[in-house]
Amino acid sequence: MLLDFAKLGAWRWALGFIAGLTGLFLLVPIVFIAALSFGSSRWLIFPPPDWTLKWYGELFADPRWLAAMATSAKIAVVVTVLSVVLGLLASFALVRGRFRGRDALRSLFLAPMVLPLVILAVALYAVFLRVGLSGTLAGFVIAHLVVALPFSIIAISTALETVDPAIEDAAVVCGAAPWEARWRVTIPAIGHGLLSAAVFSFLISWDEVVLAIFMATPTLQTLPVKVWTTLRTDLTPVIAAASTLLVLVTLALMLGAALLRRRGGRA
Amino acid sequence: MSAPFLEFDGLRKVYGGVVAADRVDLGVAEGEFLTFLGPSGSGKSTTLYILAGLQDPTAGDIRLRGRSILATPPQQRGLGMVFQRYTLFPHLSVAENVAFPLRVRRVGQGEIAERVGRALDLVRLRGFEDRRPAQLSGGQQQRVALARALVYAPPVLLMDEPLSALDKKLREEIQYEIRRIHHETGVTILYVTHDQEEALRLSDRIAVFNAGRIEQVGTGHELYANPATRFVADFIGESAFLSGRILRAGAGVADIGFADGTVAAGLRLHGAGAAGDAAEVMLRPERIGLAEVVPEGATGLAVTIEDAVFLGTGTAVSARTGWGEAVSVRLPFGHPLGRDLGRGRVLRIFWQAEAAHVFVRG
Repeated sequence: MLLDFAKLGAWRWALGFIAGLTGLFLLVPIVFIAALSFGSSRWLIFPPPDWTLKWYGELFADPRWLAAMATSAKIAVVVTVLSVVLGLLASFALVRGRFRGRDALRSLFLAPMVLPLVILAVALYAVFLRVGLSGTLAGFVIAHLVVALPFSIIAISTALETVDPAIEDAAVVCGAAPWEARWRVTIPAIGHGLLSAAVFSFLISWDEVVLAIFMATPTLQTLPVKVWTTLRTDLTPVIAAASTLLVLVTLALMLGAALLRRRGGRA
Repeated sequence: MSAPFLEFDGLRKVYGGVVAADRVDLGVAEGEFLTFLGPSGSGKSTTLYILAGLQDPTAGDIRLRGRSILATPPQQRGLGMVFQRYTLFPHLSVAENVAFPLRVRRVGQGEIAERVGRALDLVRLRGFEDRRPAQLSGGQQQRVALARALVYAPPVLLMDEPLSALDKKLREEIQYEIRRIHHETGVTILYVTHDQEEALRLSDRIAVFNAGRIEQVGTGHELYANPATRFVADFIGESAFLSGRILRAGAGVADIGFADGTVAAGLRLHGAGAAGDAAEVMLRPERIGLAEVVPEGATGLAVTIEDAVFLGTGTAVSARTGWGEAVSVRLPFGHPLGRDLGRGRVLRIFWQAEAAHVFVRG
């Protein structure tokens, strides 16, 4: 190979240094926030003069923060379920279907990925105001589904493309009805794709703030929106605690998915 | 005469203007090993897929034990099938793959275990129960697929070029296994291949497909010794074709005149031909003799030797007729001319009238 790591000599150290620096650059803000959430200073002094769990206590004592967490979780779960189900159906059509306009349809499904989020937000806001979905849970779900679905479709389609349709044919000849062949053979075979789709969908909804700001009302907010609005009026370490919690859920989910995938790969 | 066990009746399949199979008429006996042999796109796989129920015919019928199966969906036909591509279920173990057809049939747990064990014994894969398909070689995967197709005792086993992805040595090994399994189970097998050697090795009878039609059905011996068409003659075994013209034709026999003036009388004529028609005379290399003088009672033709290669069991001789057509001759080991075939030497090829077949040029 042209760039063989073992043959780089002294450059290896330089490479390691740059990689370390990049990692640091990406992680520092998160580490910083996490450290601040345990710091005793109300004014977010760094390094913290002392350590405390006070801010987490305040976070979990405040019904508004709790409501925001519950709202976020509820929306993310519903978005995940819908995104995986719709993504599965759409992927079957896009991968297995033979019809005119298939490529156009695929581009249409993936369009929200490239569309500026704020434009999508304004458009959805305008429509939702008219049809009365603004500020409702359904409105949040639909908005997040629009951005989550492309990721779901990509993950599931990619997995489905690796499953030879002849395998389904074999299951049918073996005596399984076509729906049964898909349920018992194809869907388990694309399990890793479904898992990725679910994790991505959940995280997209869980982290999403731009669309959520447009959809939110003072009484119905997601956690990122609550962080954002609180930040505008009040600089409290509770925000750091909430942010750390957001990151923690994301991290846990990624790790869990990676573990599941490894176990699935080995079995 | 009673109806055959399995019967194709005027089967026809047209895809978007292309005729994939046409007028496929064929009877298969119970327990028979019948191979569909032909080049790719000749309709052999299409016919098999229609039988499996994975494609619908445009016209015609297929009857199993006298009853049409076309209205029955594929999952209820109860046929077994081994595909060209690897089709084991990737997330299931070997044992679970073989158990799958029994599970969808709601067979009891104890009986499943017993039948899966027997099926794995049949393909000699006992001890592989817990492996995943990804941990098996291509040959092993196809043997598991065979066990999965046989575990529910189908009346007919369909095999669509199951060995084409394997290398030659492994292919021969599994061909032997398939023969053994056919003897042990007595299952009726329809086997698709484009490999004539595989067809000859495995089959009781062979149906030769060309351009969507069956050209001829018969044992390997019949097809080799008495091909009905030029296509069959060319596809099965090696052969030399010499161009000539029919001088006289009648009652399945023709006299042929060659460009150098030689006349071959009393050759077997296939199809309709009349005096004056262009024709080809087909000869198998091992039935062509080579000598300085044509023996009494044989037909002979002057040729120029181009090359001779010693192959141990014999010598492969390439020669050219006076008008420039290539002929290959196989001389057995020990033939007096075998060691004395210089390039450019003029000799005579000869054959007995019954060894030659005349096909009218279409």
